[in-house]
Amino acid sequence: MRYERQIVKFLICLAAVLIVLGCSSDKSDEQQHPDRTQAGQIKSGPVYPPFRAPYSKEGLPKNIKWLTNDSDPTFASPKAVKGGTLRLALLSFPLTFRVVGPDSNSSFRSAILGNQLSLVSIHPNTERIIPEIATHWAFGDDKKTMYFKLNKKARWSDGLPVTAHDFAYTLKFMRSPYIIAPWYNDYYTNVIDKVIVYDDYTLAVVARHPQPDLALKLSLAPTPSQFYGDLKDGFVQEYNWKIAPNTGPYRITSFKKGKYVEFSRKADWWAKDLRYFKNRFNVDRVRYVVVKDFNMAWEYFKKGSLDVFPLTMPDFWHNKTKVPVFEKGYIHKIWFFNDTQQSASGFWLNQDKEPFGDVRVRYAFAHALNLDKVIKTVLHGDYFRLEQGFVGYGDYTNESIKARRFDIGKVEKYMLEAGWKRGPDGIWQKNGRRFSVTVTYSNGGNTPWLVVLKEEAKKAGLELNLEKLDPSAAYKKILEKKHQAALVAWSTSLRPQYWEHFHSVNAHKPQTNNITNTDDPAMDRLIDAYRNSTDEQQRKKLSRQIQARIHEIGCFVPTFMVPYVRQACWRWWRLPGPPEGTRHTGNLFEPFDSATGGLFWFDAGAHDETIKAMEAGTAFEPVTIVDKFYCQGKDYCK
Amino acid sequence: MVAGEKVLQMIGISPLTAKKIKRFRSIRRGYWSLVVFALLVFLSLFAELLVNNRAIVVSYNGRLYFPTYGNMIPGSVFGLDYEYETNYRQLAKKFRAEQDGNWIVMPPVPYGPYENDLSAGRYPPTPPSFSQKHYLGTDTSGRDVLARLVYGFRTAILFSLALLAITYVTGIIIGCAMGYWGGLFDLLLQRIIEVWSNIPVLYVIIIISSLLVPSFVILLVIMACFGWVSRTWIMRTVTYKEREREYVLAARALGASDLRIVLSHIIPNTVSIIITFVPFSIAEGIIALTSLDYLGFGLPPPTPSWGELLHQGWTNMDAWWIVCSVVVALVLTLTLVTFIGEAIREAFDPKMHTTYE
Repeated sequence: MRYERQIVKFLICLAAVLIVLGCSSDKSDEQQHPDRTQAGQIKSGPVYPPFRAPYSKEGLPKNIKWLTNDSDPTFASPKAVKGGTLRLALLSFPLTFRVVGPDSNSSFRSAILGNQLSLVSIHPNTERIIPEIATHWAFGDDKKTMYFKLNKKARWSDGLPVTAHDFAYTLKFMRSPYIIAPWYNDYYTNVIDKVIVYDDYTLAVVARHPQPDLALKLSLAPTPSQFYGDLKDGFVQEYNWKIAPNTGPYRITSFKKGKYVEFSRKADWWAKDLRYFKNRFNVDRVRYVVVKDFNMAWEYFKKGSLDVFPLTMPDFWHNKTKVPVFEKGYIHKIWFFNDTQQSASGFWLNQDKEPFGDVRVRYAFAHALNLDKVIKTVLHGDYFRLEQGFVGYGDYTNESIKARRFDIGKVEKYMLEAGWKRGPDGIWQKNGRRFSVTVTYSNGGNTPWLVVLKEEAKKAGLELNLEKLDPSAAYKKILEKKHQAALVAWSTSLRPQYWEHFHSVNAHKPQTNNITNTDDPAMDRLIDAYRNSTDEQQRKKLSRQIQARIHEIGCFVPTFMVPYVRQACWRWWRLPGPPEGTRHTGNLFEPFDSATGGLFWFDAGAHDETIKAMEAGTAFEPVTIVDKFYCQGKDYCK
Repeated sequence: MVAGEKVLQMIGISPLTAKKIKRFRSIRRGYWSLVVFALLVFLSLFAELLVNNRAIVVSYNGRLYFPTYGNMIPGSVFGLDYEYETNYRQLAKKFRAEQDGNWIVMPPVPYGPYENDLSAGRYPPTPPSFSQKHYLGTDTSGRDVLARLVYGFRTAILFSLALLAITYVTGIIIGCAMGYWGGLFDLLLQRIIEVWSNIPVLYVIIIISSLLVPSFVILLVIMACFGWVSRTWIMRTVTYKEREREYVLAARALGASDLRIVLSHIIPNTVSIIITFVPFSIAEGIIALTSLDYLGFGLPPPTPSWGELLHQGWTNMDAWWIVCSVVVALVLTLTLVTFIGEAIREAFDPKMHTTYE
């Protein structure tokens, strides 16, 4: 009995200790941030002495020719006024505020990176280089060096000036094993060779090899050495929730894990009057609220707890907006056509699998797909036919290529030429083999139009078998080149990338992106020339030739493109337009991005007016803005 | 009724069973449910003649064609300018307009389960329309909901019956063996079954169907692999009880083999217990397939299935005709099955035969 009692006592004590520990862990959560004065408030100052790189013993080259750009058109509105709070939804709270290392690659990362300026940037409309932290730049004769002169006014958010040493520190930082980011370790070693510091405000960045579009590669962002100091073991844990100083218009001023993150505008931001930043980044605060479900976010938005909402999905644009808040004009709809790189989305035919070894069969396959009917019916006319894999790359795009259209006559011509005959079930046959193709895909959202395509293809004598797999299983099957036809959409980059998809080096082996197994000597020659050239004009010409060759080979059947964004916003938000955004705008209410973001502003008068009208129940005219500024003259724009 | 009983006895059904059948027939609700359900299953076997985009009979230039079963007939056979499958609805219109003595008999619902009825300007899903003969509207790809419902019913019921047959046969054999032999064999198998029944079936199916596209047979095999377990326990218990009865001892004393004792003595005396579970197992089978399809792990598209319709209905609540049709169909089917089950349970209730009337 005695022992029992003691055991019980011990257990009670243990429970008490656990409870105390459990409760205090909440508190320590708040206290973990030495740079937070009260709950949610964050201050920061220099922690370590700033890093100093040695000055170069050789001076700048004699014949250096400094360039700048202060003449391209601005794209912000002079009518913009400061003020207001933009409330946005976040589907999940970020796992860390670091931008390198484990768990850092979340969608929230772009919000942090958007406030970290680089040396130079690309003008979103003219695609020419424009200054950011550098005021001037120059190209070295070796085609792998760029020189930069920094803006002496540039400041970190802790007040320290941004110097050339901070760019040298970026290299040191990114090469460190402690950040646990192998991709960055490799990139900043094998693509970027070195940073040369001439004086505190002049530097050169050198690439490992001569490159086309050098400015895109060499425009580094500075890293605050005063904040990180000498990296050591435990970096990943230590900096999970620390707010690094930045150079952009906003910084994180408060957050609550799992709930929200708030950014505030720096009132005395050093770049606010620069040519390409003036009248931009107008809202005082940007608040990301965690709403874990997309449909729930939609309800929040309709109630006015969020300011903007994406409407690109047809169902939202056409059906779900038939509700009073839209019909009474409290919320506006905007359909904005941009002119940006389109994802290469379509059927990728594996030439190593029968029957796609024969080019005529590949052509016949393309002509048997009635994609135009699918667009006109199931897809509500909201998508547009993609003519080829590389649309929206400016002069790099060959506009003369037109995708093969549904045409039973042409299917018959090609199939008869290739020695096939219609079987008793109407499907083409040759040597006991039917023209039956398995389409591998993973997104269930594609099924409604694929089944229509399947029924239409029967008319042309093609049988499509739909194979919907789990994303990872589909990915594995496709990369192992075990598919016949894969429905895949590749992500885009600023310039078209051909080598990975179409060079024979990557054919006939697993785990490469040449999922069509294209093995064509003419194509190889073109791609090699494209990769080795640093002459922009020549590269553009080669790019167009490569696209023509892809079309000739016929291993890719393009499906759809979405050359626009659709969004809804409460009626107190103002946009600069028309045009409402830039050529490359993917989100009209992007608050931070240094190239295209922060063009909108808050109209306090309209806000009060709307709130009053909602209370009184009075209505405004419903508004739907369709902005076709950037698609003028294109076929699909009519 | 007496004559009926005699007939039953003549075809080898014991008076006891005949009594049970009689009792079942006297429970009107269950009996009529069975009649309706059997009729539905029977009709669904010939769905091609009732719900189809192929005509039942075409009379063209004095010749009769029966396109329902067999290979497709290209349009050129009927003087149309294409080589693919004839659109019989359009052909019917053409015949009516020409009045050359050609005629067509279309099924009552002239749409197939895979066919998309799309025309520009009319975005699917479209609401029910009697003039278009889309009695329950169309789904998100423009397919007739009624057609998908009918063919989906057939798939579900055939799946369910096949699953039932496999799991019951396996379950009865293994359960009987366990009960009859008992001892170490029983002990070992019990443990194996306990382990086996702890494997979550749904997850296994989800994993398998994310790696390969599951077909009817693959799904059936997976479900059957796990479905037989629950049947063994009851069979084991009742066999245990039966084998100690005098008639088994008598049979053994007469020198009957184990197989003979089990097959002709024990099983006929225990089957009435297991039979009461059958209707509920059918319902389980339908629900299992429907929920797998709903989650997207069932039969591959474009196979018509109730789960897929339910999913479409759920994601397109505005298109009320989709979700209403499939929910009503599900509720009706499951209610019928439950009524049948109830009646069987009551009819086979052993208490009924021991009470004095």
